[in-house]
Amino acid sequence: MVAIIDYGMGNVASVQKALNLLSVKSIITADHDVIRNSSSILLPGVGSFSQGMENLQERGLIDLLTEEVVAKKKPFLGICLGMQLILEKGNEPHECKGLGWVEGEVVKFELENLNVPHMGWNNIEVQNDTYYKSLPTNDFYFIHSYHVVPANKQDIAATVQYGFDVVASVQKDNIFATQFHPEKSQTAGLSILKTFFDVNA
Amino acid sequence: MLKVRIIPILTFNGFGLVKTKKFSNPRMVGNPVQAAKVYNNRGVDELVFIDIFATAQKRKINLKLVADVIKECYMPVAIGGGIETIEDINNLLKIGADKVVIKTKALLDKEFIKEAVAFFGSQCISIAIDAYKTPEGYKIHNKLDIDKSVEEFVQEMIDCKVGEFVLVSIDNDGMMNGFDTELVNYVEQMTNIPVIAVGGGGNMEHYNELFSKTSVQAVGSASIFHFTQYTPLDIKNELKSINIPVRI
Repeated sequence: MVAIIDYGMGNVASVQKALNLLSVKSIITADHDVIRNSSSILLPGVGSFSQGMENLQERGLIDLLTEEVVAKKKPFLGICLGMQLILEKGNEPHECKGLGWVEGEVVKFELENLNVPHMGWNNIEVQNDTYYKSLPTNDFYFIHSYHVVPANKQDIAATVQYGFDVVASVQKDNIFATQFHPEKSQTAGLSILKTFFDVNA
Repeated sequence: MLKVRIIPILTFNGFGLVKTKKFSNPRMVGNPVQAAKVYNNRGVDELVFIDIFATAQKRKINLKLVADVIKECYMPVAIGGGIETIEDINNLLKIGADKVVIKTKALLDKEFIKEAVAFFGSQCISIAIDAYKTPEGYKIHNKLDIDKSVEEFVQEMIDCKVGEFVLVSIDNDGMMNGFDTELVNYVEQMTNIPVIAVGGGGNMEHYNELFSKTSVQAVGSASIFHFTQYTPLDIKNELKSINIPVRI
């Protein structure tokens, strides 16, 4: 059973819908026992970094998730804000401590001639193909105004060109995360979710 | 490279899909859930669904129906119509909307838009700019007798840090005789917030012209998909032929 973490930060229904289509069993929850008993953890989320951390804190999830993912090495998938929160530090709307599972920080886009948010379909460049094998296309749906900057290059799983090489995905041990929305990226997105849950079944 | 987005726009009257001309004479054009299913199968980039009568009829959007529409979609969906509270937005996000499109409330209450952006993040809040041409320049169409220029409204929404503009030319709505590229350029030079240009697409030359003459990154259309044989893929093939990046 995949625990989709419900911490009041948006679109959990779409994530579960995609997992249902792939026949991956999941539950939307913030219950500590359910999360402890889950086979893997999916942290979705849209909204601001500091609000996300505040909501995790309120539900007592910071220590619990860290225990499950970092200490017990449970498979973890973070999406969008759920990827940003695993870094050490955010800046939205102000400086704020993150979960800190991956070294680095999350900063605002500073682009002269490009739109912010980075919104729409963009093609990724894969660095670590563990979960990017047999993709039907490289285009994924992005929608974000902040981007992650990992301290260690080897944690970068994929990048996307938007003024510069923006980090699109990170992977470190049992932790995998995407800035784009696989649940909104049609066949390409479903392919990644399928690979992740096949590998970590 | 970021691709331009070709976005079908579904306008709804509370019962079925309708298509207007210059925001008048709504004509029934089908069932929203069926339409969403077709567009999902065609792999469109995104979908916009707006209940265009919700505010005027003082009712909330039908969440059950919106949920049924979103269930068919494995791509991003923006929902609009009658949004007035944080709870309204939350209800839509909970059932799987990615963005909400707000107009009337944005004209009436800037502070609410700021609050919504702080709560849900910029990327979630799209603002509809329903523009029409007057001798004194472009103005915002509304049923509340609010006299506001497009320039003033766009500036206010930039200050609120919204995530996107759905820019509709009312003069060209449903006319299928080409986009108002002057309006698109006018708004594009004011902001680096993404804009969806809407109103006037009727044949391939119109899309070619829109993307050649402006720097806009997205187009929204309805009539061309309802009343002609053209599909979003035809538009993409046309744009690809003039080296505009598209997702095929």
